[in-house]
Amino acid sequence: MPLLLLGIATIVFIVSRLTPADPLVSIVGERNLTNPVVVAAAKHQWGLDQSVFVQYLKYMQHLLQGDLGTSFSTRQPVVHDLSQRLPATMELTIVALVFGTGLGIALGILAARKRNTIIDHVARFFALIGSSMPNFWAGLLFLYIFYNRFHWLPGPGRLAARAKPPGHITGFFTIDSLLHGDFTTFKDSVLHLVLPASVLAWGVIGIVSRLVRASLLDEFSTEYVKVARAMGLRERTVVNAHALRNALLPTITIVGFLFAYLITQAVLVERIFSWPGVGSYAVTSSVKLDYPAIIGVTVLVGFAFLLTNLITDIVYAFADPRIRLS
Amino acid sequence: MNHIGQHHTLRHKRRVGRGLTAGALAASLFIAACSSSSKSVTPATSGATTTSAAATATTAAPTGGSTAGTTAGTTGGTTAGTTAGTTGTTTPAKVSDKALVIDRSMDINSLDPSVAYCDTCQIFLTAVYETLIGLDSDNKTLVPRLALKWESNTDQTEFTFHLNPKATFADGSPVTSADVKFSWERLKGLKGAASYLVATVKTIDTPDPETVKVTMSQPNSAFLAQVNASYLGIINMKAAVAQGATTDATTDKAGTWFQSNSAGSGPYTLESYQSGDSLKFKANDKYWGSPPTFPEVIMQQTDSAVTQRQQLESGDADIAMQISADVAKDMTSSDTVVKKVPSFNYVYLALSPGAKGGDKLTPTVREAIRDALDYQGLIDVTVSGAGLPQPSPIPNGFAGTEGLDPPKQDLAKAKQLMADAGVGNITLDATFPTLNVYGVDFSTAMQKVQTDLKAIGITLTLTPLELSVWATKIGSDGIPVTMLYFAPDHTDSSQYVQYFGLVPDSQWTTWTKQPVVKNETDLLNQAFAAQDATKRADLYNQLAKAMIADQVIIPVVNPNLFLASRSDIKGMHYSACCNLDLAKLSRG
Repeated sequence: MPLLLLGIATIVFIVSRLTPADPLVSIVGERNLTNPVVVAAAKHQWGLDQSVFVQYLKYMQHLLQGDLGTSFSTRQPVVHDLSQRLPATMELTIVALVFGTGLGIALGILAARKRNTIIDHVARFFALIGSSMPNFWAGLLFLYIFYNRFHWLPGPGRLAARAKPPGHITGFFTIDSLLHGDFTTFKDSVLHLVLPASVLAWGVIGIVSRLVRASLLDEFSTEYVKVARAMGLRERTVVNAHALRNALLPTITIVGFLFAYLITQAVLVERIFSWPGVGSYAVTSSVKLDYPAIIGVTVLVGFAFLLTNLITDIVYAFADPRIRLS
Repeated sequence: MNHIGQHHTLRHKRRVGRGLTAGALAASLFIAACSSSSKSVTPATSGATTTSAAATATTAAPTGGSTAGTTAGTTGGTTAGTTAGTTGTTTPAKVSDKALVIDRSMDINSLDPSVAYCDTCQIFLTAVYETLIGLDSDNKTLVPRLALKWESNTDQTEFTFHLNPKATFADGSPVTSADVKFSWERLKGLKGAASYLVATVKTIDTPDPETVKVTMSQPNSAFLAQVNASYLGIINMKAAVAQGATTDATTDKAGTWFQSNSAGSGPYTLESYQSGDSLKFKANDKYWGSPPTFPEVIMQQTDSAVTQRQQLESGDADIAMQISADVAKDMTSSDTVVKKVPSFNYVYLALSPGAKGGDKLTPTVREAIRDALDYQGLIDVTVSGAGLPQPSPIPNGFAGTEGLDPPKQDLAKAKQLMADAGVGNITLDATFPTLNVYGVDFSTAMQKVQTDLKAIGITLTLTPLELSVWATKIGSDGIPVTMLYFAPDHTDSSQYVQYFGLVPDSQWTTWTKQPVVKNETDLLNQAFAAQDATKRADLYNQLAKAMIADQVIIPVVNPNLFLASRSDIKGMHYSACCNLDLAKLSRG
């Protein structure tokens, strides 16, 4: 894994340097691009007056010490920026994943059990919409309906503007507020999570429900299910205790992938909902050609993908006794 | 199906029915709980604007808000003034116990006062780091702030400021001449984007703790206006030095500290800043002037104009700073107030004859382009008519713009000029940055320009690029036709000549690859040396006409600003130096 991450960092470093764009615009502003004093000082401060090779060596030296450099735009260490923003994205994506997976499984079971009925068609239609609707559009729609029009749910942000964030323990406002016994903030943070998490979860529901439905239908045609039914077991027992466990194996694999996928999908959702997470940080960094931040985000996302794959493999081994880790 | 199967089916149906009923009940309870927790608001009386991904907020300019007019009353003699920390207020504003919430798409590059350079930075700096000179509500008159009075010599090379002995920093220590010297030397020494404002400062002497004497390396009649710029705010030297601040870029280590701490004398201090989330100010309980009117000011990152409107109308925000014209026209709620005011910001077309592919841009062709543009049409298309045409690169209302005729489309003349030029139909590269500033979408504006120029035989090849990519191109080969924007850093007209005029070190002299024009250089030097405001205005008027005659920079839209706030917010304004002076706002 470390070598993979170093490889990712190297590739991103090279690609960002090859991009025909000027990072000085975000550092000094376009109005100072022809001011030699300002430009020279900025280049010196950020090491941009050195050769690309020297810049690479220095960056790698710091990276091996866990230092991802200082962001051009926030002027803070990238590690600090990511540590501030990562909990926000994690909170959002974990809630979306749990909510989406749970509902997706339930919907998939329902659709499989009610195959070719109106319930099946409605469930599949709902899943199709979730998979195909662009999430930025869904976000704007949800905000308009639930926030602006009917005032059922709060607007953008992690908390109400005037609310004080809970003391930092995990960075998850829901958990931290509970740990501090602050139930008002807990409720506020949960309500603010509903809309953005729902937008993200809808896509997950679509993918998971269709997969579960298809897997269950495959299991329903197997001999052991026929035997279980013939033995008079209740249909709920046949499905939940027998067929579902086997049908969920592909879902475990896809959930691992979905987690990392959600982190990237969160980009637009974070912009719409003013959610200060890694996604919006990644967009801003890319637009401003903030080299240290770009590489930092890429390394983080790469690490997330690798870690997710590892966890998926482990969970899969527990779920399926036939699999043994070598 | 046998009776056992029927029995199972019936039980199953009852379970499904109970489940659905329970689900419906739970959903109702949930919705009721959410409704009870949400604020009770008055629905908008007009139809709500449908959300649209296209309705994005303007991105704020990286430079300061615009400032108007002459520096009245500041040449030669002394200027006495009030000692109030806030300017232009005659009755004490009501102090609220509720935080002020401002929605804004923030463009902060840094909170270090010697490095910060952006629109949002101006708001922050004005509230936290006071300048020696303030700007009155008329956006023209310079008034005392940290300095009680000031004077300059006749050739505009020496400026003396007398500090208010009552002025203190947030930690209670007095503001002294040593702090002023340190602040301006640090601004110059760190060589940040705003350092050019003190580039002509040669020495700063501090004969006593309340007197600052600045000697310039050359005449600079704009210096008092530059002192008013928020970038020249005063830092608590002792507090900053303790955190590693120096006046040398190679040794200064306080940059990170300033991102979460402040050391100023303003009515507010920095409470916290989280990039992409919020900028929070806390009231300075030890403020030496009129007490701050809010215990806290929260500026929250909100990118979309539509979302800003939603939050304003819901009461989740008190001020929405970037409402565009198309969003504003539907805002009729009685709980909000939307005021349209003229601004000094503008979008312009730049013609570069020296750029690669720009050789056909002869003076005659450039004049034809100027005459071919449908200025009112551009204003209508980009900002729904909420704007003004502007004749010269010096914006309407600044010194030197009196008597200048607004540009008008004259297609017949433009076609004749093209015929005179004898170039036939030409194609020009029109690469431009994909920006949306002050409500003007550059893609829309350039398409309109393309249509206008097609009528006189000029075909523009539009290429939108990200700003950082565009910057690489304009800095190398140049771009024959492009678009950009400008918002002023201070109140003096000189900045426009220094930036747009064909004078030495001008950015557009470099980018257009045009030779320096001696007449403009001479006029600018005369303006810098002129003590009399009327004479300076006349010189800038000549410069404005000279820049029009250059036919290189053609302002196309001077958009209005929409000040949107809750109806209980008082003092809402557009500040020429600072965008928004938080000290002038109150509730109730």
